[in-house]
Amino acid sequence: MNATSATGLDDLVKLDLKVLASSESAAAPEEFIPVFHRWITERVLPELLIDVADYSHVHEGPGVLLVGHDAIYAYDESRGEPGLLYSRRRETAPETAGIRTLDERLESLLLCAFRACDQIEAEPQLDGRVAFDRHRIELRVNDRLVPRDDETASALGEALRRALAEAGVADDRGPVGVQRIGEARDRLTLRTG
Amino acid sequence: MSQLTVDSTATWEAELEGRIPRRLREEIEIFETQIAQKRQGRIDDKVFAETRLRRGVYGQRYDNGQRHDGTASRALEYPCGDLTKGPNTVWDAPGMLRIKIPFGAMNGEQMEVLADLAEEYSDGIAHVTTRQDIQLHFIHIDDTPDIMRRLAAVGITTQEACGNSVRNVTACPLAGVCRDEPFDVSPYAHAMTHFLLGHRDAQDFGRKFKIAFSGCEQHACGLANMHDLGVLAQVRTTGNGTKSTERGFKVFVGGGLGPVPHQAKVLREFVREDELLPLAQAVCRVFGRLGEKRNRARARIKFLVAKLGIEEFTRLVDEELAVLPVDDRWTAYLDHLDVADEHPTRPGAALEPGPRPEGFAEWLGTNVQRQRQPGYVTAAVNLPLGDLTSTQLRALADTARRFNGGLVRNTVEQNVVLRNIGEADLPDLYAELRAAGLGAPGASSLVDVTSCPGTDTCKLGISSSRGLAGELRKRIADSIRTAGVLADEAVKDLRIKVSGCFNSCGQHHVADIGFYGVSRKSDGRTMPHFQVILGGQWTENAGSYGLAVVAVPSKRIPEVVERIAGLYVAEREKGESFQSFIARVGKARIRQLLDDLTKLPTYLEDRTLYSDWGDPREYTLGDLGVGECAGEVVTAVEFGLSAAEREVFQGLLELDRGDAGTAASRAYAAMVQAARALITTENIDIGNEPDEIVGEFRTRFYDTELFFDPYAGAKFANYLFRIHGDAETDSGEEAHRRIEEAQLFIEAAHACNQRISELQAAGSLRRAV
Repeated sequence: MNATSATGLDDLVKLDLKVLASSESAAAPEEFIPVFHRWITERVLPELLIDVADYSHVHEGPGVLLVGHDAIYAYDESRGEPGLLYSRRRETAPETAGIRTLDERLESLLLCAFRACDQIEAEPQLDGRVAFDRHRIELRVNDRLVPRDDETASALGEALRRALAEAGVADDRGPVGVQRIGEARDRLTLRTG
Repeated sequence: MSQLTVDSTATWEAELEGRIPRRLREEIEIFETQIAQKRQGRIDDKVFAETRLRRGVYGQRYDNGQRHDGTASRALEYPCGDLTKGPNTVWDAPGMLRIKIPFGAMNGEQMEVLADLAEEYSDGIAHVTTRQDIQLHFIHIDDTPDIMRRLAAVGITTQEACGNSVRNVTACPLAGVCRDEPFDVSPYAHAMTHFLLGHRDAQDFGRKFKIAFSGCEQHACGLANMHDLGVLAQVRTTGNGTKSTERGFKVFVGGGLGPVPHQAKVLREFVREDELLPLAQAVCRVFGRLGEKRNRARARIKFLVAKLGIEEFTRLVDEELAVLPVDDRWTAYLDHLDVADEHPTRPGAALEPGPRPEGFAEWLGTNVQRQRQPGYVTAAVNLPLGDLTSTQLRALADTARRFNGGLVRNTVEQNVVLRNIGEADLPDLYAELRAAGLGAPGASSLVDVTSCPGTDTCKLGISSSRGLAGELRKRIADSIRTAGVLADEAVKDLRIKVSGCFNSCGQHHVADIGFYGVSRKSDGRTMPHFQVILGGQWTENAGSYGLAVVAVPSKRIPEVVERIAGLYVAEREKGESFQSFIARVGKARIRQLLDDLTKLPTYLEDRTLYSDWGDPREYTLGDLGVGECAGEVVTAVEFGLSAAEREVFQGLLELDRGDAGTAASRAYAAMVQAARALITTENIDIGNEPDEIVGEFRTRFYDTELFFDPYAGAKFANYLFRIHGDAETDSGEEAHRRIEEAQLFIEAAHACNQRISELQAAGSLRRAV
C-alpha cells in the first residue's frame, strides 16, 4: 500500500511542478516563443498542444506559455526565479490515463517536466544557454479545495521525496530535503533543496 | 507516516453553501444543468452558445479545432470528439471568461478571489479590458460553474457579460473624487446594473447593449458619446427664484464604435434622477421590439436610431414610458445613494519634502492626480497591455487595504486606479507598488498603449494588436529614455489604441493615433497590416471619430508612429492640438509621409514582414499555393482594389475639405470599383455601369456567399446595396459613415480575393475566365 492511498490525495490532479533554471541560464522569455511554436508544429511532446501565450511584459509573471489541453508548460519567472513550469490541469493523454495514485502522478509529473527541460536544454535556437537544476524543484497544489495544513504538506512532501528518489534525484547527503514555503493564503507549495 | 484523510469529494458548491445569493446560485445551477444537457445532446448548439455567452463564457482562437502553423492548417484533436459548445466550437477547446466589474470597482476580497481563479483555472493572468471587466483566458467550460460560484460568493457575476444583453455598466474611474463632476455617478451606475441585470425587458435584443456613465463632459473617462446609452451627470436649478438645485442626467442614445462608428444622439437634455431607470427601461423596450434581429450586422441600437431618426425614436420611448407599469425599484435606490461611497482611511496630510524612492518624481508626474477632496489624490497603476499576475493582484489588494481600505477601480485604458490616497503616503505607496512591479510611470500617456486581445486569443483577430502594442510600449519607452522624438512634451499625452480587426474593441476610432488590423497580398503571400486611423478625439467623452488614412505592414507601424509624432513636433503651431494639426496638414500629406512604408518587398527581399509581432509563423490565412495564372488574375484584382482605395482616399480628402456630397459619391464609387475588380476574376468583360456591376456582384459574390465574411456574413456587401441607387447625400455624418463603409467593403474585397485564390489553388473553384 502506498503512503497516500488512504488520504484522498490520490485524486488530486491539479498540480504544478517547477524546475528552477540554473543560475548560469541566460535566455530571455521571448526566445521561447519560436521554440514553443515549433513544438506545436512538430508535435514534440506526446500530448495535445494548442497555443503559445506571451506574458513576458509582466513583472515576474508566467513568462511565455505553451498551452496544452492537459497541461500548461511555461518558461516561468514567478518570484523572479526563471524555471520550467509544468502545470497539470487534467489527464486525458494516453500517457497519463492510467494514473491511480499520488505517487504515480508525481512520477508522471517529474517525467513530463524533466522531458521538457531536456528538450529545452537541447534546443538549437537557445544555444545551450538554458540549463535546469533538477534538484531545485517547487511543487504546488493548484486546488484550494485541498486543505493547506501541515498534515497535507507532510503527506505530499513524503510522496515527493519518494518520487524524486524514483527519478534518481538525490543530493550527496541522501534524500532531497523538502520544505514548505509561501504564505497561508498561497497555494500549498513545497520546495526541495 | 501520516494518516491524513483529505475529502476528495469536497466541492465548491458545498464549501460555499450559504455564501452565494439565492438568485445567483439558481442561475449557476441552471447553467450547470444546461452543460449536462448539452453533453447529452439535449440542447441545440445555437441555443447553448447564446446561453453560455450570457454567462460570460466566450470562445477563443482555435476553438474550431484547427490551427495554422504557418505552412498548413492542422487539426487539434481534442479528446471530446464531436461534442461542441456552439456552432463550430469544440467543447474541450480553451475559452475566455468575461467577468463583469460594474463601473470597474473591486475590493480586496474580490481581487484575491480573482487572483486565485486566475491561478487555478487560467494562466495566472487577470486581464483588464477596455470596458472595465476582468477576463480570464484558457478556461475549460467544465470549470465555469465553480468559477462562477467562487465569484458569486464575493458579489461578482458573469451573468450577461457577453451575448445579446446589457453588458458591464461602465463609469468614469474617478467618479466621486473628480474635480470637475457635479456629483458621483457611481451609485447610479450601481443601480442601473442591478435594475437591468436579468430584467425581462432586456432579454430580447438582436445584439449587445452597452451603457456608460460620465461625470463631466470635457474628459474622456466615461466615453458617453460612444455608447448605446450614455449618461452624463448634470445639475440644474429648480427655478422659482431659489438657489436650490436638483440632480439629473443628459442622456445619449445610439452611439457606438464597431466597424462603422456612430456618435450618440441626445435623447434627453435633462432627466431627473428618479426618471433615469424608467427611461433606460423604455429604451430597452423600444430596442427589443424594433431593433434588427436577423441581420446581426445592423442589429445594434445605433442602426435603429439612425433608421428612425432621433425624433421618432424619442417619440417611441415616450410612448413606452407612458404605459410602463410603475416599478418601486425606479426610486428605491435613491434612499441608498451611499452604496458606492468610499472614504479615506488615512489622513490627507500634504506631501512633505524628503528622500524619495527612485523613479518617484516621474511616476508622480504621470500617474497621480489631485482629488476634489483636499489632501487626497488618485494613483494609477499602469498595467502593460492590461495584464497583471495573480501575485500582483494580491499585492494590489494588500496595498489598497493599507492605504485606502482596499478599493480600486479598473479603467477603460486597461489600468487600475487607487483613490483616496493621502498625499503624504505617496512615497510609501509608490515603493510598495514598485516592489510588486506595479510602479511603472506613464499612465494615460503615449507609452500606455491600449489594445484588444487580437490574434493572441480572439477568433476575429486579423493582426497581432497585443504584439504591436507591446512593441510600441518598448520603443516609446526607449525613445523617452534616450530623449528621442517621442520624449517631446508635445506628444506626451497622445493616445495610441490598437484593434486586431475592424471591430474596434481596442477603441482605435477615438485614439489620437489608432490602428486596426487588416491583411494584404504580396508576392503570392499574405502580409499582416494595420490601417492607420487619424482624426479621432479621446477627450470630450470621445468627441469625434478618426478615419483610415493608409494601410502599412505591421512591422513598420513603429516607424509610422515616429514619423507622425515627429511631424507634429516639428511643424505644429503654438498651442495647436494634435487633431487640429492633422486637420490642417491634411491626410494627403500624412499619406505622402508614409508612402514609402506601403511599398511591399518580396518574400525573398524581407521575410520578416510576412510574419506578425510576437509570432514566428509565416502569416497566412490559408495553405496558399498560388500558380502563375491565378497570380496574374490576382494582380489584376489587386490593381482594381488599389484603385478603389485611392478613390476612397480622395473621398476622405473631400470630407476634410467639407464637401460631404462629393465625399459620399467617391465612397460609393470606391465600393463599385472594388466590386468590379472582384467581378473581373470571373467576367473580364464586365462594363463600367454601376447597375451592371452591382447586379453581377450580387449574382456572383453575394448569392454565392463568396463575399461573405466568415463572422460578419453579408454585412459588408449590404453596405454597397444600401446606397446603390441612393448615393447622394449632403450630410457630413452620413458621408463620414460611407467613407468608413467603403473602406471596410474594400477590406472585405481583399479578403474575398484571398479566399478565391485559396479555393482556386485547392481546385475547388473554377479558374478565372
